[in-house]
Amino acid sequence: MIKKLSLLILGFWVIAVLAGRFLQLSPNDIDLNAILSLPNSTYLLGSDDLGRSILARLLRGVEVSFLVAITVTLVTMTIGVFVGLIAGFFGGKVDRFLMQITDVFLAFPGILLAIAFAAVLGPGLVNLMIALCITGWVSYARLTRGQTLSLRNRQHVQAAESLGASVPRLIIKHILPLLASILVVEATYSLASVMIAEASLSFLGLGIQSPNASWGAMLRDAVRYMLVAPHYVLIVGLSLMSLILAINLGGDTLRDKLDVRTEK
Amino acid sequence: MDILKRITSFFAVIFGVLLLTFLLIHLVPGDPVEVMLGESASTADRVQLREDLGLNQPLIQQFGRYLHKLSLGDFGQSIHTKTPIIELIKTRYPATLKLAFLSLIIGLSIGIPLGIYAALKAGKWQDLVVTIVSVRLSAIPAFWLGPMLMLIFAVWLGWLPVSGMESNASIVLPALTLGFGLSAILTRMTRTSLLEVLNDDYIRTARAKGISEPNVIIRHALRAALLPIITIVGLQMGSLLAGTVITETIFSWDGIGRLLVESIEKRDYPVTQTCVLVVALSYVLVNLFTDILYRLADPRVKFAS
Repeated sequence: MIKKLSLLILGFWVIAVLAGRFLQLSPNDIDLNAILSLPNSTYLLGSDDLGRSILARLLRGVEVSFLVAITVTLVTMTIGVFVGLIAGFFGGKVDRFLMQITDVFLAFPGILLAIAFAAVLGPGLVNLMIALCITGWVSYARLTRGQTLSLRNRQHVQAAESLGASVPRLIIKHILPLLASILVVEATYSLASVMIAEASLSFLGLGIQSPNASWGAMLRDAVRYMLVAPHYVLIVGLSLMSLILAINLGGDTLRDKLDVRTEK
Repeated sequence: MDILKRITSFFAVIFGVLLLTFLLIHLVPGDPVEVMLGESASTADRVQLREDLGLNQPLIQQFGRYLHKLSLGDFGQSIHTKTPIIELIKTRYPATLKLAFLSLIIGLSIGIPLGIYAALKAGKWQDLVVTIVSVRLSAIPAFWLGPMLMLIFAVWLGWLPVSGMESNASIVLPALTLGFGLSAILTRMTRTSLLEVLNDDYIRTARAKGISEPNVIIRHALRAALLPIITIVGLQMGSLLAGTVITETIFSWDGIGRLLVESIEKRDYPVTQTCVLVVALSYVLVNLFTDILYRLADPRVKFAS
């Protein structure tokens, strides 16, 4: 039942975004006569501190959020899998060198390094994505490396090798396909964590900038006006939570389906 | 031997961390001096700052200078207030430690009892509820939980101050924000590792000897189950430290996390650099410490190596 609920919530947001596009909402229209108004017939979820429709901004925000999450996940996965395959396949000094680099990245807890990069690169959507990409590839690299190390010694790989298969062929035809399911599961979780990271950075003012809508930035504004308009923070907060929970639950379902055992 | 190896790799990581934080300032698009001082700055000021930061030297020399200054405890000074950065860290870091420590206590005092409870009720509905709730709770980000707690306890109920550090009660909400996530992870970890040992022979022996159930759990089972919990606590200290950046910003708690965000807003990059360095180094140190503690505490790890 919970699984269905998560699909329902995800579906709801996707449809809402598409509907928002179709209805041509105007998330940046300022209405100074309706500052921080409660939900009413004009503004279904109320309006923010500049009289902009919270609903329209939420929908635009989730669109941006999806865009960032998908792009960053694809880029980091590509880089990470590439590095991990090389480290795991060749082993030895190459492996040690690459893993030493990942160790350095892992020495920065959580989102700290992304904050640092976003800070020096300056705010904005593209810089935000660059910052998240620079820091996000490490977990894929570690995961791929570990799997490759053990797959490298599987009989089918060694058989292909002794038959004279080239290194790229070995990697692409014989190792990568076996990594697919575990990477898909990892990617689902990373979608949620990139979304959280994007929202965190935007919350700190390092991500997407006004007037562009972003859930993190909206939450920050909402906190500022919490005393006068608690509905604002409540609406943004609940929306954000529903989406993150839905994606995480989706990841769990997928993991059970694909029967991937990860330590996470 | 193993610990020695661990310490060698520790220094390699420290070197990497220093290099990466050093390079940060060179990632600023365009001229960092220009970006930091703004367009209105005088030429003399710019020359001075470039000189102070050593930006006109070759990169290798700059890194050498950076390491040399750090080894002398000289972190440079804030560009805007000219305060030595070491002073800023000295005033801000204890506040962060205090917050992290209290969050840890909250996390432990909720997580461990709940985990024990779930393990004892394994398979029953109580276990299911605790597990589901803790799995979902651990996915909640601080920037969501913080404002929600603030809304409920400070704005609606008015029990606690909204933000700042004026009263002693100010620490409660930020500490809860950080502690909740930790407690969720600890609950799961305690449950899993306790369940693992509860079926062991020596537990059966202890029970057969007639030792009371609370004694079996606390003195026999929990003691063995504590090791994985120590590791998790060590690893979680990292996200706790990173979490302080957001939590401190939400609650205007004057710790190092807020200092970091403020320095970014003012484009005071030397301060930003130092904050990142200090947090990363604390994390690496905590990890090393946990690792050593773990090896010392568990004889099995020593024999295995």
